[in-house]
Amino acid sequence: MNPRPWWRKLGHGSLLLVATVYCVFPIYFMLVQSLKTAEEDVFGNPLIVVNPTFENFEELFERKGEARGFVGSVLRRNYPVLEWLENTIVVFAGSATVTLVASILAAYALGRLRPPGFRWWRRAIFATYVIPHTILFVPLYQVIIRLHLDDNLLALLLVYPTLALPFCVWILSAYFQQFPREVEESALVEGASRVTAFVRIILPMSRSVIVAAGIFTVGTIASDFTLASVFLLDAHNQTIPAGLGTMDVALDELLAVAGINLMAIPVVLICAVFARGYVRGLTAAMVEGA
Amino acid sequence: MAQVMMKDLNKKYDEVHAVKDVNLHIRDKEFMVLVGPSGCGKSTTLRMVAGLEEITSGEISIGDRVVNDLPPKDRDIAMVFQNYALYPHMTVYDNMAFGLKMRKFPKVEIQKRVQDAAEILGIQELLKRKPRQLSGGQRQRVAVGRAIVRHPQVFLFDEPLSNLDAKLRVQMRVELKRLHERLETTAIYVTHDQVEAMTLGDRVVVMKDGWIQQVGEPLELYGRPANKFVAGFIGSPSMNFVDVKVADANGALWAETQGIRVKVPPIHTSRLVPYKGQQVTMGVRPEDLHPASGSDPREYCFDAVVDVVEPLGSEILLDLRVGNNTIVARVEPTNRVKVHESTRLALTPDRAHFFDLKTELAI
Amino acid sequence: MRVATTARRRDIQVAYLLLAPTLLLLLTALAYPVGWEVWTSLTDLSPLKDGPTAFVGLENYRRFLADPEFWRAATVTVVYAAVTSVAKLSLGVGFALLLARPFRGRALVFLAIFLPWAYPASVSVIGWYWTLNPPIPTAYSVFMGNVKYAVDGVLGGGAWAFLSVTLFNIWRGSSFIGVFLLAGINAVPPELFECAVLESKSAWRRFWLVTVPLLKPFLALAVFLSLTTAFADLANVWMLTAGRIVYPVVGTHAYWLAIRGGQFGPASALSLTLVPFLLAVLLILFRMFDPPEKERA
Repeated sequence: MNPRPWWRKLGHGSLLLVATVYCVFPIYFMLVQSLKTAEEDVFGNPLIVVNPTFENFEELFERKGEARGFVGSVLRRNYPVLEWLENTIVVFAGSATVTLVASILAAYALGRLRPPGFRWWRRAIFATYVIPHTILFVPLYQVIIRLHLDDNLLALLLVYPTLALPFCVWILSAYFQQFPREVEESALVEGASRVTAFVRIILPMSRSVIVAAGIFTVGTIASDFTLASVFLLDAHNQTIPAGLGTMDVALDELLAVAGINLMAIPVVLICAVFARGYVRGLTAAMVEGA
Repeated sequence: MAQVMMKDLNKKYDEVHAVKDVNLHIRDKEFMVLVGPSGCGKSTTLRMVAGLEEITSGEISIGDRVVNDLPPKDRDIAMVFQNYALYPHMTVYDNMAFGLKMRKFPKVEIQKRVQDAAEILGIQELLKRKPRQLSGGQRQRVAVGRAIVRHPQVFLFDEPLSNLDAKLRVQMRVELKRLHERLETTAIYVTHDQVEAMTLGDRVVVMKDGWIQQVGEPLELYGRPANKFVAGFIGSPSMNFVDVKVADANGALWAETQGIRVKVPPIHTSRLVPYKGQQVTMGVRPEDLHPASGSDPREYCFDAVVDVVEPLGSEILLDLRVGNNTIVARVEPTNRVKVHESTRLALTPDRAHFFDLKTELAI
Repeated sequence: MRVATTARRRDIQVAYLLLAPTLLLLLTALAYPVGWEVWTSLTDLSPLKDGPTAFVGLENYRRFLADPEFWRAATVTVVYAAVTSVAKLSLGVGFALLLARPFRGRALVFLAIFLPWAYPASVSVIGWYWTLNPPIPTAYSVFMGNVKYAVDGVLGGGAWAFLSVTLFNIWRGSSFIGVFLLAGINAVPPELFECAVLESKSAWRRFWLVTVPLLKPFLALAVFLSLTTAFADLANVWMLTAGRIVYPVVGTHAYWLAIRGGQFGPASALSLTLVPFLLAVLLILFRMFDPPEKERA
């Protein structure tokens, strides 16, 4: 290709800069706030932090036991952040596992075994996306009470998988559908049973698509605030988003921002590590035009 | 003992009857090639032997066992696929060891067998690589290696050379032949390439539309094709077919059509007598036509106009027109005929074939 | 006629077995609640009311169709969905095209564009919302407050809060779509783009004639996914602020009726109005990203 003129390079460069700033700035802003002291928060420059401190994060964890005191005449509550963190990890890992296992099984059924009408099964499962979960919680609450799961993390393990399941089944079955039949057959001839061929050959070969489905699942679950705060009422049972929602922002703004980052940074790190795999998996799943 | 028997084998899909009443006896240590155009049922037959395709009716036995209801893993076979079907996430070594691991062979034995196979195929240096780091030919070798480490009773090959370029294909063909001579294992080999079929097969099965057309040794198929299809399929360039009328004159039979009037060779005379006055198809291979010289009897000569000259170096192919028919002749590279010229051709009398116009069977 | 062989029958049985967990999850967490909503929308069920629940037929639907409040909410909903979708798509396509060709630092820019989606929305929406609507005096609250009053002054109370959710949804959605389309571009053989460069001099024409058709399945899928998140984000903020957004959309309006008013019947009817609409969109989009399969050889 002939070299591009300087003004096009410059244009491309500045567009990249604008895009990067647009994407990163809000995150940067939140990160900066969380590192500020209360004084700097009020009087400092909003865009930078002069004396970065982890005291907000420390305070998040330290506020255990007794109520910590008064600001004016208002009681500043303490928050069981460690429990929130624990709950969040349990809920995320659990729901992601349930989602992936269920969708891999279903996708194998639809993409390889192809029961009659498998195309319509696929579409029907994907179409459950049109139902906004957030409007369903009155009946959902009934289901959860019937199952004795109210104010229990298991409630989220039941509801969260349905958030990402349709998409995961979709891309995984698309991938399995165009998976080279001969490779699986070769394993069968070599002496593997269908289950062994699936575990030893198909699963490892589908790694990137499974990563894509997993990242999508984590991203989707991590975006829910509503369901968590509806189903988890007791402060000790809450996940970080639900817990942060109960914070009095007018009093604990810096704590809330620190809590946001506490939750976000691990999720972002996981996503960043798998970012390339995510794209590769989506590509692999969609290559055959679906 | 690993002969393969197929008895009244049938395969029906929803609307397609892919394999029809196939009866075949593949002897122990034999290299049997199934050949035919795509959709002729050859691959389906092979896949039924492998157990990858269910048998609609009939019976397959390997050795002394009827294998109809055995899953592929219990049939003691190995298969090489067209796209190699290597496991991309495993090294070459692991690819080759997979089947042995599945069968719980001791580690030392696995190592020994893989090393041996790698040595036979000349891929020792590749054992640590992943399939995507290999060339097409190397992948092919790994696929073959994966099959031979298991010492199976039968090798199944499903168009294994189709994805290779022409030069490599010839080379691998020779290697496969050598390998078979060395291992002496029964092999069933599916291909659509008749040259592969002829060069590799101890015997060759020609299939079309699910039916077996003919089973025989390569030269038998070439020399005495059972019907017009086999005659046209085996040999390249393929046999020329001309519809002729059988006429009786001067105490001999003549094959006549526009522009051609040749005597029916003596070996065919008796069988063609019942067709007197009727149309039959005459077949002559391009290599059985040559420019007429003084020594050729006049009753086996005819004139033709050259349409295209294809010099191939070792030979020249002439596309010619005779009346309404187009025929191909394979002539010496020294021939100096030019396009649009008329030339006189002679056919080798005892190499002509005749086929019934309706049944297309050889007469 | 289908010849169902034993192996095939077994395959089908196994298939249903493998589908079971998925179907079970969807049935308990979706099908039952939706069924309940449908039934309730035909009754006057209310926890605040004594006496038996009466079946009222389509009364609930009739009532809100006559309610100007509903039409206002519906308009806001449609405009919100349309505006965010168009904005997300244009930005997303832009990001994907920026990243399509290799250049130095591409991995970093890619990561930057991936971030807004990867950053968990459940918490970033909290941060975003309180940043744009600061509840306490901070270094930037005066500036934000001025913006808020200016916008609310022009568009009415609550406009800025609503706008900030819209911006958030666009910010996050464009990131998702950008990455998604990048995966789409990677799936297209580069020769096709190179051919296009030779055949058409104008980049704009090339974009519409080559890039868009090639990416059509990805675009369609992306549009659909972004539509569904548009409502989820709104619901999140609505929950967070306990309904302080005064711009009503269909979903929040329904929630208001159910929780604050205890009118489960009308609330259910209302919340279901979106479903047929989304389903229709999906059926159209299926034609683009799930075309009939080519016959297997």
